[in-house]
Amino acid sequence: MSAAPEVIAAAPRAGGCALQRGVLGIVLFVLAWEGIARGFHLPSYTLPAVSDILASIYAKRSILFTAAGFTLTEAVVGYVIGALIGVTLAVVITLVPPTRAVLLPAATAINSVPVVAYSPLILLWFGIGMPSKFVMVALAVSFTVFLSTLAGFDRVDRRSVDLLRSFGAGRLAILWRLRLPTALPLMAAGLRVSTVRAIIVAIVTEMLGAYGGLGWVIYQAVLQIDFVQVWGAIFVASAASLAFFGLVGFAERRIIFWK
Amino acid sequence: MTIGHSGLARLAAAPDAASASSAPAGPYLLEMKGLSKRFGSVTAVSGFDASIAPGEFVTVVGPSGCGKSTLFNIVAGLEEPDAGSILRFEGKGCHAHELLGKVSFMPQRDLLLPWRTVIDNAVIAMEIEGRSRKASRAEARDMLPEFGLAGFGDQYPHQLSGGMRQRVALMRTFMFKRELMLLDEPFGALDALTRTMMQRWLLDVWRQHKRTILFITHDVDEALFLGDRVIVMSARPGRVKLELKVDLPRPRSAELVTSPEFIRLKRIVLEAIEEEAMKSFLASGAAAPQTDAMPEVQP
Repeated sequence: MSAAPEVIAAAPRAGGCALQRGVLGIVLFVLAWEGIARGFHLPSYTLPAVSDILASIYAKRSILFTAAGFTLTEAVVGYVIGALIGVTLAVVITLVPPTRAVLLPAATAINSVPVVAYSPLILLWFGIGMPSKFVMVALAVSFTVFLSTLAGFDRVDRRSVDLLRSFGAGRLAILWRLRLPTALPLMAAGLRVSTVRAIIVAIVTEMLGAYGGLGWVIYQAVLQIDFVQVWGAIFVASAASLAFFGLVGFAERRIIFWK
Repeated sequence: MTIGHSGLARLAAAPDAASASSAPAGPYLLEMKGLSKRFGSVTAVSGFDASIAPGEFVTVVGPSGCGKSTLFNIVAGLEEPDAGSILRFEGKGCHAHELLGKVSFMPQRDLLLPWRTVIDNAVIAMEIEGRSRKASRAEARDMLPEFGLAGFGDQYPHQLSGGMRQRVALMRTFMFKRELMLLDEPFGALDALTRTMMQRWLLDVWRQHKRTILFITHDVDEALFLGDRVIVMSARPGRVKLELKVDLPRPRSAELVTSPEFIRLKRIVLEAIEEEAMKSFLASGAAAPQTDAMPEVQP
């Protein structure tokens, strides 16, 4: 019994510790990287020093930030479209149960292949500009969001549905007042995972054909044998990805307060 | 013009009209005749007959698994009885699903929505009816003290005790203003002390709100303490084993349970219930050695 208060007292400290350790880990990792790259005089095509990469990012900041804006636009627009499609499909299946037998296998079949496999076709159909990236990102995001939302809708307690029915609620009222809030935690998990997928798919598709964006910058830098630039673009992409992930995670914690 | 006329006529005859509208319907609010329900090879309820008059408090007791919940699901409109069952509500024969939205139903678990405050949980039925959110919230706020929830209106369910959660669920049921209320073991999960407090409180609320209550329980004391009438159900398939009028004076106080009259009624109910409990015990434990099981249950 005496353990309980200790645990409670220790909890915030452990949280602080975790953050400190995380920062410490990153600092050590960067220092080791810098030390190895400088100490062994590694050529930039093997591993450039972190300081060189940061300097390059600063020097080429306008190119990189423009590219990051490009990629983020593609990722966010595709993400929103994909999330809407995913949620809509799950809603349709829930409101019209017979559609489940048609929609679920079809969605699974389309997604049993890595999304990137569709990119040549999508580039052919939608061109090299942004629309093809919207489609690719939406394709990747919609399936994840669809599955997690559907799982959330199905998780609802049968007795709660019966209670609302006894109040005279129809399917739509039950969806809005019960299924949607019940599904939110699972939906949010799907949405959070999808942020990183959205950026990855946007960058990969850019590498296969684009007029701009971080993937395009990486591809061009490889052609010009500028590996510091490749790393610079990777750093920026990683930061953009983390920011997107963090923003959605923050929204999730604000909205789903009861968990 | 004609509409105005009939409206006036009704107004003029108002005191009579109220009783007249239910008079041709007979004195009963709900009638069940030969109610049966099978699930595959299991017959949950078979030939259940009972009628409930407006304003009555009827309690239903029975051994576990006697089909009490099936009966409630039918009356709540959630489950359709088998062909041949007769269900009449407000004097008119009807299908079970027509009762959806006409009976206020409270299941065993409180089933409060964790993302809604006490007030918002209480008004959910009114919200579904399409009433103004502001007005129903104000009404709920006024009802809080009566349900022992004063000052807790903006709390979330996880911040409340079990007894309070149950009172929020009851408040939700009361706010869905329907003549007939179905309460399915609402106090089953509470400790004995909270339970007796809640029973007395429920009688107070019932007296003030003048509703008809059908109340399921497996506690004989509770059934007798609350009810105008106790219906004892048989072992599965559920029928009416015994119907007992409880002629104890109201308002009822805690001492009632030790009065000779209460004990006399309790003995009658217990006897009937024991016989049925034995049947369902033997039916479910058919594999167990019966000679050993019998004497253990009998005293």
